[in-house]
Amino acid sequence: MTEPKLEPDIQRISWGPQHPMSGQTRILLDTDGEKIHKIIADLGYTHRGIEKILENRTYFQGIVPIERMVMADTANIGISYITAIEKAAGIDVPERAQWIRSLVCEMARINTHLYAFGLQAESTGYFPAVFLWTTTDRTVLLDLLEELTGARWSYNFFLPGGVQKDFPEGFEDKIIKGVNYLRDRFQEYWDAMVENYTFEIRTKDVAYLSAEDAVRLGATGPVLRGSGVSIDMRKESPYAAYEDLDWKIITEKEGDCLARTKVRYKEIGQALNIMEQVASEIPEGPIKTRVSPFLRIPKNEVYSRVETGRGEIGIHLFTDGKDKPYRVKINSPTLRNMYVFERMAELTYMTMADMVVVINSIDPWYLDSDR
Amino acid sequence: MPEQLEIFVDSVKESFEDMIISADVKGPNQVEIVVKKEHIIEVAESLKHDMGFTYPSAAGGMDYLNENKMQMIYYVQNPRTGLFLFYRVDLARDNLKISTLTQVWDAMSFHEREANEMFGIEFHGHTDMRPLLLPPDWKGGYPLRKDFKGEGISE
Repeated sequence: MTEPKLEPDIQRISWGPQHPMSGQTRILLDTDGEKIHKIIADLGYTHRGIEKILENRTYFQGIVPIERMVMADTANIGISYITAIEKAAGIDVPERAQWIRSLVCEMARINTHLYAFGLQAESTGYFPAVFLWTTTDRTVLLDLLEELTGARWSYNFFLPGGVQKDFPEGFEDKIIKGVNYLRDRFQEYWDAMVENYTFEIRTKDVAYLSAEDAVRLGATGPVLRGSGVSIDMRKESPYAAYEDLDWKIITEKEGDCLARTKVRYKEIGQALNIMEQVASEIPEGPIKTRVSPFLRIPKNEVYSRVETGRGEIGIHLFTDGKDKPYRVKINSPTLRNMYVFERMAELTYMTMADMVVVINSIDPWYLDSDR
Repeated sequence: MPEQLEIFVDSVKESFEDMIISADVKGPNQVEIVVKKEHIIEVAESLKHDMGFTYPSAAGGMDYLNENKMQMIYYVQNPRTGLFLFYRVDLARDNLKISTLTQVWDAMSFHEREANEMFGIEFHGHTDMRPLLLPPDWKGGYPLRKDFKGEGISE
């Protein structure tokens, strides 16, 4: 990256990409003493050109590379592309398949929120134990996902027209068992971390983002809802079975790092409720409509919006009658939240010590922002 | 809901008249406005302040090689009604200059930087036009254009 000019009396510190907390990006911090004066994000370390790759893959082949955008959240990324294909081609999906999709999406959401939650604990420096707890408890979900989809991480489980497999024998009971176990554990997280005084002093009133600023700067996901704006794609443009399920959008008014953590925490609770509902109320029926793997879609243009763990992902799919898409525009959530993060130094008083807490509160995933 | 969208589209056509090329309903809760290049700022200001499109989502380029044009697409939402807008501008392939919309929706900054490096669209008035995702020594052309051959970095 060509670096912008440095202002007088300001020191520039390069943070990442080799910092343990930074992930695959570099952040330039213009500091005035301990205060952060300006943040400059240097993205692109993991740019793989997924938009261009998808132009050279058939619709079915494209499902694999697009799920590589966020490994902890592959189901939610995958469904965005698949709903776009279904809309463009006019494919109907059986109801049971939609419910299974919602289940897998919510399990992936818990998975990714747990990861974010653990990192947030780690970044405050007091709770390395919580990161280990979340990583351990995640295996309950991964075991369930393995039994259902055959994979622990990248499932490629959804296909245009439905899902690959139906529930194995007795799977509903296993879901309920897993949900009950996780509920108990989450109460411990709440007591040990969220309501803990030491966690509170590191996160409360840090990096305050007002509702107006969150909207103006295009924040999305828990960052937006942590500022009290109630926008969630699962209600806004419903996909899978979310219209039939009973759940509510979580918002917190405070707009600080603690509020964003609480939103993630409570969304895990909602996701557990959805898992329970699916296990007890899932309708019977077929799980897929047959779609040819050599699918060709006539000239069309659709936009599908899906709520991932990090916020709204938008897939603008352009088709032109061939077996490959003409163009796929991916509007990724992390790129939007990174812009919010860049501007936060101007909006609030942020110190060097807060920096790691703040960046983890937006839960960035750079493979997602770089595509 | 569809009737409300029709009413909205009619009101857009009425208030902007010859500043826009077309306005259409694109889907449930989605509308599209194709604006004339020279009126891009005026119409955007009016959309933001009078019609409540205050929540910028993203922006990106699009290459229509056969029609010899490119398009810049801005995605904006009205956070109150949930109405989603595709705000599009046609650009001739030999004249890819356009006024930046960061003065209206400043969150478009990253997306315009990306469109600049991927498609070669130049944004007049953008204060920080550094490449966003490509390496600083990239000389291989514009990767997301349809006539890109994949040369990569060359000396």
